Amino acid sequence: MSIFSNKSEKIFIYLFFAIGLFIPLFLEGNTFYINKFSTIIILAIFVMSLDYLVGRTGMITLGHAMFYGLGGYIFTILAPEYEAVNFWVYTFYVMLISGCIALIVGLIVLRTSGIYMIMITLALAQMTFYFFADSVEYGGQDGLFIYIKPETSIFGLSFLDLENETHFYYLCLLSLFNCFVFFKVIMNSSFGRVVDALKENPDRATALGYNIFHFRLIAYVLSSSLAAYAGYLFALQFGFVNPSMMSWDISATALVMTLLGGLGSVYGAIIGSFMYEGLHYYIEHLTEYWMFFMGALIIVLVLTLKHGMAGFLNNLSGGKR
Amino acid sequence: MSQTILEAENLCKFWGGLKALNELNIQFKDNQLHSIVGPNGAGKSTLLNTLCGAYPATSGVILYHGKPITNLKSYEFCRAGIGRSFQKTNIFHNATCLENCCIAAQQRIGGSFNLFRKRSKNRQITEIARSALEQAGLSARADIRAAEVSYGEQRQLEIAMVLATSPKVLLLDEPMAGMGHEESQTIISLLKELKKRYCIVLVEHDMDAVFELSDLMTVMVDGQHLITDTVDNIRNNPLVQDAYLGNDDEVF
Repeated sequence: MSIFSNKSEKIFIYLFFAIGLFIPLFLEGNTFYINKFSTIIILAIFVMSLDYLVGRTGMITLGHAMFYGLGGYIFTILAPEYEAVNFWVYTFYVMLISGCIALIVGLIVLRTSGIYMIMITLALAQMTFYFFADSVEYGGQDGLFIYIKPETSIFGLSFLDLENETHFYYLCLLSLFNCFVFFKVIMNSSFGRVVDALKENPDRATALGYNIFHFRLIAYVLSSSLAAYAGYLFALQFGFVNPSMMSWDISATALVMTLLGGLGSVYGAIIGSFMYEGLHYYIEHLTEYWMFFMGALIIVLVLTLKHGMAGFLNNLSGGKR
Repeated sequence: MSQTILEAENLCKFWGGLKALNELNIQFKDNQLHSIVGPNGAGKSTLLNTLCGAYPATSGVILYHGKPITNLKSYEFCRAGIGRSFQKTNIFHNATCLENCCIAAQQRIGGSFNLFRKRSKNRQITEIARSALEQAGLSARADIRAAEVSYGEQRQLEIAMVLATSPKVLLLDEPMAGMGHEESQTIISLLKELKKRYCIVLVEHDMDAVFELSDLMTVMVDGQHLITDTVDNIRNNPLVQDAYLGNDDEVF
């Protein structure tokens, strides 16, 4: 049994990861583009976690960037300043701690839904933003630097060097792949069945005996800790964290990307982030007023493509939904 | 004599000053179809919603197998075995009919917190769902999206979903609402089968169906219990005729 829900998804995923695997060979050490791709892939992980939350569970948040930023801060605060730590161990720490934070935040925000949830997540994210922006200890607006990148050995064997752009690129690509598979697996699971149900009709799910709060909370924690993982990768790539990572416009931009890609399609998050960043990069070189044209283009795209790019591709391949 | 499964003692539900249920005492017995009739606004739907935990009671006690369950959370009523169907079709339109029943059955079987096991791997759930569909006469529609089947079939699906939760008590809120005569006949014969095995509480406006199906009838007026008796006695009861049925041909 396949994990793909339709043909276009399958084709896209195979193509994307095949191209992704070989593209560094063609770029021949052009670190600018390799870095650019790594950044977009990291962004895609973040957008994917948001896409699951908004598109699959129906919880709309404007504070997801809080976890993106926290992922970076948790690592930077936790790791000793002048000592290389183990990447995998700290991946575990970052996801565990952000998961615990998400659990507490979730207990508060999931009591609301719809517009109230948007407002309360936004408020919490802005609180966290200003906490870090005003803190002396954590570098204020300038944030914190990561002087030494972690090493990646497992049982003494090391095959990834995070200082090397190409190695880091492959780490990001692998992470995106794992993230995609993870979301597809939980969507197809028994848990996913209840999540589908409560998204469509929460009252009916309750009448059938489900405590929907528990399911929402789990989905929220999973999504948030993956967002934190993306923020952790981002911090490692650039060697610093600062409060702008968790500013609300990151959350909003990510929401736009999920809409572009096709809300709830999960793989659409990859399309959405590459499209947005690609358009951004392209239009930025054409005109000074890139924001204006970008905005207009996005309005047109969102209006014409009802289920985003994923829905468009699905129609192209003749699938129905 | 079959035993009492579900009962309400002095049950009250107030909406502000409005007494939707006022000191209601009623008992429902196993393997019987007990219908509740009354004019609009008599509190029939409120009674069902209170019995299934959707509305918390203002005061009074609900006893299930002799134990009070008034303070359970709304989702715990279903787990206890009190299943309910809705007056307004309330299904998962994007899922297939089978999947709709699977969602219902999975609650009983468990494993809902399993993140990694494929949902289709749990045969037991699929079997329960299939047998629920079969009982409701929807086997042929199993793989069709719920939004695409006819209105009558959606009503049948509504009942199939309740059956898939393996309930002891079925609270049915106007299962024949908006149905044509032929579609109603399907539901009537379905309910005749079901009342042999379940305690059914039926709220229904179709009086022909009610007279045909009921073992016991309760007449409610203004949130209060007027009378509970067998169909024949209710028909001949002058009190009911005066207060409620009025002239023979009055429509309510």
